[in-house]
Amino acid sequence: MTLLDIKGVSKRFGGLMALSDVSLQVNKGEIFGLMGANGAGKTTLFSVIAGHIPPTTGEVVFDGKRLAGLSPDRICRLGLCRTFQIVRPFAGLSVAENLRVAALYGRARKLSATEAAQIVDDALDAVGLADRRHLDAGRLTLSGQKRLEIARALATGAQLVMLDEVMAGLNPTEVGTMLDTLRRLRTERDLTFVIVEHVIGALMTLSDRILVLDHGECIAFSTPEEIGRNERVAEVYFG
Amino acid sequence: MRLGSALWIALAGFGAAVPFFGSTYLMGVVFQVAMWIALAQSWSMLSATTGYLSLGHAVFYGVGAYVCVLLTGIIPFEFAILAAAGSAALFAALIGLPVLRVRGPYFVILTYGLSELVRHVVMRIESALGSFGRMIFDVPAQEVLLWWMVGLAVLATLGAYAIRHSRFGAGLAAIREDEVAAQTIGVPVTRLKLLAFIASAAIPGAVGGLALLRTSYFEPAQAFDPVISFTIVTMALVGGTDSVRGPILGAMGFALLSELLWSTLPQLYMIVLGLTLIVFVLFVPRGLSGLVGRIGGAR
Ligand SMILES: Nc1ncnc2c1ncn2[C@@H]1O[C@H](COP(=O)(O)OP(=O)(O)O)[C@@H](O)[C@H]1O
Ligand SMILES: [Mg+2]
Repeated sequence: MTLLDIKGVSKRFGGLMALSDVSLQVNKGEIFGLMGANGAGKTTLFSVIAGHIPPTTGEVVFDGKRLAGLSPDRICRLGLCRTFQIVRPFAGLSVAENLRVAALYGRARKLSATEAAQIVDDALDAVGLADRRHLDAGRLTLSGQKRLEIARALATGAQLVMLDEVMAGLNPTEVGTMLDTLRRLRTERDLTFVIVEHVIGALMTLSDRILVLDHGECIAFSTPEEIGRNERVAEVYFG
Repeated sequence: MRLGSALWIALAGFGAAVPFFGSTYLMGVVFQVAMWIALAQSWSMLSATTGYLSLGHAVFYGVGAYVCVLLTGIIPFEFAILAAAGSAALFAALIGLPVLRVRGPYFVILTYGLSELVRHVVMRIESALGSFGRMIFDVPAQEVLLWWMVGLAVLATLGAYAIRHSRFGAGLAAIREDEVAAQTIGVPVTRLKLLAFIASAAIPGAVGGLALLRTSYFEPAQAFDPVISFTIVTMALVGGTDSVRGPILGAMGFALLSELLWSTLPQLYMIVLGLTLIVFVLFVPRGLSGLVGRIGGAR
């Protein structure tokens, strides 16, 4: 079943086409990988989907609903949440409080305090931040803040979570842990992920399907094995 | 119940009981202290929670005073006060959306400018009507006004406390930390900011009405005096913005200090206000509240 349907999305910044006519479908329960060199338009695509910037043309349909004109908070409450490549923690609030806000506001239904507390605990456990719950988020290491980004998106209860380079800056052990975490979340919580990653190995092992962007254009779209054999991709990545 | 809460209740009780044993002078001081607590606490509902520092809260005070002077004699004063609060809230609702689009120093300057604009408009209207000040003759007894003002101080404090400890307050804190991130995780940023703005305007409207009845004289330059805005901000910052006891401590400290200064060296008032603000912002960022530590209890 298609959960996210991107139909011919383009985004122009002045003279620059950051996205040209990108179409893709993400299935429910899938881990969908998005690849591309720096400046390929990956983050821009996330911003368009999450409602932070309007597309120049095209439309985004999530769970059967058109997202055109909806604010990011509405889109989040519909069940779609993104993280930020450049982390944006609520630096002056504790780690747990960061997640509590997400739990309280992330979904259409109002939660009781106990329900919210449970969700916070679950999200902390999922990313391994339970021991730092009382720390101010601004005092976490970069790796900690990346994990907080994920936990906060999870705490909103979103069924589709879009992760923008959450493994950048993590050491190999941490990347391994993160891969396990994401796989587990997918099965345990029935989540769908769209993942942007520079750590190509991680993306290859994790994703069911991968789309490769180059200068805003989709140049390949298939399984990790085929992407690995694709000449055009090799050209873009390894020259 | 913690020691802190007991202390604040005793303080409010003392304020309300002053008419039974205190002098007229003491009643005046208590009225002033309660007034500044109500104003600083209301200001904190928006500015301490969201970080949108309003330098124009005099406008709500002034609107309240103006509405009240127009209505007294026509309707009972209790209703005039309620109308003053309602008008200030309505005014905030009307200007809120455009004003809250800007952040940081722009918001500070915009709120200040707007307040000045309204002051000059009202001055123009009044002089066009040939009125250079309006007297009110039939004012309620001084102790009634005092009880109202103490009531407003208590209400504002309870309101500020309730906001901080609610879902609403959690959303406002997220807005203060990072508006874009807040919106991304579902916080309806525009709506919450507007509600906080309205909440922080209502009580200052009522305060303006009461202060007007107490002086029984309305003069636009005074009712919309920007010094009111400066004083509110200074008191709140000196008191400390990360707990509800901050505005109380700041208002009490300042109101008492200004009592001393007005009677001895009135020209020094603004200088002392400015100096204190500078010293606290630079050296005591958590304010008096941070200095007294846990004595006050309530956070
Ligand atoms: N807000 C913006 N205004 C103008 N240009 C932008 C903006 N955001 C991104 N760009 C440009 O769009 C292109 C794609 O950027 P981005 O989506 O961040 O790429 P990626 O995430 O794939 O590295 C880049 O050339 C970038 O400079
Ligand atoms: Mg990017």
